[in-house]
Amino acid sequence: MTSDSNSSSSDSSSGRDDRNPDSGSEPDPNPESIDQSLDAIENQLASISMASRSPTATLDDDEEEEEDQSAEQLTIGNGSVEEEIGVAGAIDSIEDEHIVDNNNIRAELPGVIAESPSFEWKNISEGDEVERPLSPNSSGYAGERGSTSGGDDVNDDEEDTEIRVVENDGVSGSHEQWVSGKRYPDEDDASVSWRKRKKHFFILSHSGKPIYSRYGDEYKLAGFSATLQAIISFVENGGDRVKLVKAGKHQVIFLVKGPIYLVCISCTEEPYESLKGQLELLYGQMILILTKSVNRCFEKNPKFDMTSLLGGTEAVFSSLIHSFNWNPATFLHAYSCFPMAYATRQAAGAILQDVAGSGVLFSLLMCKHKVISLVGAQKASLHPDDLLILSNFIMSSESFRTSESFSPICLPRYNAMAFLYAYVHYFDIDTYLILLSTSPDAFFHLKDSRIRIETVLVNSNVLGEVQRSLVDGGLHIEDLLMDPGSRAGANSSHLGQPRPAADSSGRITDGFVGIGGPAGLWHFIYKSNYLDQYVSSEFSSPINSLRQQKRLYRAYQRLYASMHDNGTGPHKTQFRRDENYVLLCWVTQDFELYAAFDPLADKALAIKICNRVCQWVKDVENEIFLLGASPFSW
Amino acid sequence: MASSGNKNINAKLVLLGDVATGKSSLVLRFVKGQFVEFQESTIGAAFFSQTVAVNDATVKFEIWDTAGQERYHSLAPMYYRGAAAAIIVYDITNQASFDRAKKWVQELQAQGNPNMVMALAGNKSDLLDARKVAAEEAQTYAQENGLFFMETSAKTATNVNDVFYEIAKRLPRLQQAPNPSGMVLVDRPADRATGASCCS
Repeated sequence: MTSDSNSSSSDSSSGRDDRNPDSGSEPDPNPESIDQSLDAIENQLASISMASRSPTATLDDDEEEEEDQSAEQLTIGNGSVEEEIGVAGAIDSIEDEHIVDNNNIRAELPGVIAESPSFEWKNISEGDEVERPLSPNSSGYAGERGSTSGGDDVNDDEEDTEIRVVENDGVSGSHEQWVSGKRYPDEDDASVSWRKRKKHFFILSHSGKPIYSRYGDEYKLAGFSATLQAIISFVENGGDRVKLVKAGKHQVIFLVKGPIYLVCISCTEEPYESLKGQLELLYGQMILILTKSVNRCFEKNPKFDMTSLLGGTEAVFSSLIHSFNWNPATFLHAYSCFPMAYATRQAAGAILQDVAGSGVLFSLLMCKHKVISLVGAQKASLHPDDLLILSNFIMSSESFRTSESFSPICLPRYNAMAFLYAYVHYFDIDTYLILLSTSPDAFFHLKDSRIRIETVLVNSNVLGEVQRSLVDGGLHIEDLLMDPGSRAGANSSHLGQPRPAADSSGRITDGFVGIGGPAGLWHFIYKSNYLDQYVSSEFSSPINSLRQQKRLYRAYQRLYASMHDNGTGPHKTQFRRDENYVLLCWVTQDFELYAAFDPLADKALAIKICNRVCQWVKDVENEIFLLGASPFSW
Repeated sequence: MASSGNKNINAKLVLLGDVATGKSSLVLRFVKGQFVEFQESTIGAAFFSQTVAVNDATVKFEIWDTAGQERYHSLAPMYYRGAAAAIIVYDITNQASFDRAKKWVQELQAQGNPNMVMALAGNKSDLLDARKVAAEEAQTYAQENGLFFMETSAKTATNVNDVFYEIAKRLPRLQQAPNPSGMVLVDRPADRATGASCCS
C-alpha cells in the first residue's frame, strides 16, 4: 500500500486520487454512496454468500459485517448493483424501489425468522465464536439485515427479533449486541482478511514498536508498524509533519503525540477531521489507563515495549472504536443525559451534591452511556470527551460489574499527568455510580458515600424510575405528532410517562411514515452548545436496521465536519437531499440541530418541522438535559 | 492489621500474583461460591468482604483482589499497606507466575506489615497434566520464607476455603492497641501516592 501511496503533508488535498492499488480485486465497496436498494440485493445475496462462507468467517461484528461483507457481496452481485445505482439517480424512482424492497423482504421473511435464534451465539465469548463453525443459516447478521427496508411486515418481524434479543441477554440497544474484545487475533499484515478490513487503528511507539492494533496480533505486526514509523520519521526529518496520505480509496491518518504515534487506515470515506478526532479519543483512552507520564518510560528507554502495560484492555479499545460507529458523542464533543422526570433528577443531584462537599472530586450517576446526574467539586470541570472515555472504560470492563472496585484512572483533559482514584459500583445491570477522588486512601470514605447515596436513591425510587424509563425508551419522533396546542396545556408531551402497551406496539407500524406526513421527519440530534449536551431521538422505523442507522450516523458525521470546516467558513444552515434522505442542519450560537427526513420531504415543511423540534426540545428541556449544574468546560 | 474486639476480628487481606493466576476466581469461590471459566481481568482492585468463624473468634475479612497487570504493580502498596494477611497466588501450570510470586513475597517482606500472615497458593491444581511447578519446590520455598503453602483449585473448590480458614486461625489474637477507627488505611504518609502514575 505504501509503495503506491500519494504522500501529502497537508490535509487539504481534497482531490481524490483515483489510483487504486486494489482495483483489480475489488469493485468500489463504498456502501454509503449506493442506494437503499442495495439492502434488498444483499438480502438476496445473503443466502448465497452464506452458503459459500468458510467456517472461520465470523460475521458477528456489525462493522465487519457491513464493511467487509458488502464488498464481498458486491462482487457477486456486481451487475445488478450497477443497474440499481443507475435507477437510483432519479429521485422519482425511489417509490418504485421501496416496493421492490418490500417484495424482496417478504420473500426473505421465513429465513429471517428461522435465523433469529442465532443471536444467542453472539453472547458467547470470543474464543468460542471463532472456533465454532457457522452453519449456513446461523449467521445472526442476516437476521438483523433481513429487515433493512421499511415495510410493515418487516417492522413487525424486526420487533420480534428485538424481543428475542432482549430475552437472550437483557439488553435492548442494538449496538450492545456487539461483542467486545480483540477480533481476529491470529491475523497479521500478510493475511488477506486483515488487508481487507475497512478500518484499522494502530498505536505504536516512536521507535516503531507496536502498542495496539485493532485487528491482528501486535507482535506479528512489528514489521508493518516499523513501516508506519518510517513514513512518519521520513517526513519529520524533512522538517514537516505527515497528517494524511491518500492511496486510492484508502486514507491513512497520522497523529503524533510525543513518543506515541497513532495511525488510522480507513476506506470508509469518513472525513479527515472525524478520523483525526477518533485518533485523539483513542489516545485519550490510553492516557486514561496509563497517564501521560508513560512518556517518561520512553525517555529512559526509547525502545520500551508498552504492550504489556496495556494488558487486558483490548475490550476497552475495541469498544471505543466500535462507538465511533454509533455514538454521536464521539464527534459532537458533548454528552447525553438519561431522560427522566425533573424532580427525580433533582433528587439524585441533591445527594450527589451532598457527598461532593466531602472531598469527592466528581460524582457521576450513569445509566449505560447516559448521565443521570453529575456533580463536580468547586472549580473542578469535566470535559465531555473525558466523560466519554471514562464511561467507555467502565462499561467495557466486565470486572466492575462483579463487585465494588477502586481503580486508578486519569482524566486527560483534567490532568493528564496524574491518576485520580475511581470508586465504581453498579446498582443494577445498567446503572452505576462513579466517585472520583484525588486520594488513593479514599476507598472507605467513597464506599460510605456510596451507601448514603444508595439509600437516598432507593428511598426516592430513582433507580426504579430509571428502569421504567429504559423500558419506555427515549425521545420518540412520534410524540412530536401531537398537536402543538394540546402540548402546551397538558403534560402529555412529557417524558417518562408510562405509555399504554398498545401505544408502543402501535407506534412501530404507524410511525413508519414519519412525522409531518409521508415525507416527514425520521430522526434528529439536538446539541445545546451552552450545556455541552445533546439529545438524540430514537430511530423511527424507516431507519430501524443497524445498517441504516450506521449510514445515517456517518451522514451526520460528514454534515458535522462540513459545518465546522474552517476552510469554507462556518455555515448556519445546510439542506442536502440525496437518494437516502433529506438532511437539514441548523447551527446557531445556542444549539446545533441535525435532522433527517424522508428523501421526498418538502424543504419549507422540513424547516417548519425543525422549528417544532426546537420548540419541543425547549418544552421538555428540564427532562432531557441536566440543567443548573454545569461542571463542564473546555 | 487485624483489630479485635469481643473476639470479632476485622482483617484486611490482599491477594497478589501474576496475571491470570486466578486471584479473582479464588475470591469469588470463597465469597460467592461461584466459578466462571472465563473470568475477565480485574481493573485496579475489587473489594469484597466475607466473615468466617474460627474456634474462638469471628473474622471479618476485607479482601482486596488486586489486578495482576503490570501497570498496577507500582500501585500495589496502596492495597497491601496495613494488611493483616496476604495470599500470593501463582498458577501451577506457569513457571513465570511462580517466579513472579517470589518477587511479591520479597516485596511484602521488605515493605509490608512485619506481622503479616502470608499464604502461598498454587492455583489451578485441577490441571495436573499441565503442571510446571512441583508442589515440593513451592513447599520448600514457603517454609524457607515463613509462609504457609497450599495448592488450590478455584474451579473444583479444592482447598479454597481452607486457605482463608488457615489465615483466620493464624491471625494474631491480641492487639496491644486496637485501632479505634477500625480502619488503618489512612495512617501512611500522604506524600507517596499523590501524583502517582503508572511508571513513577
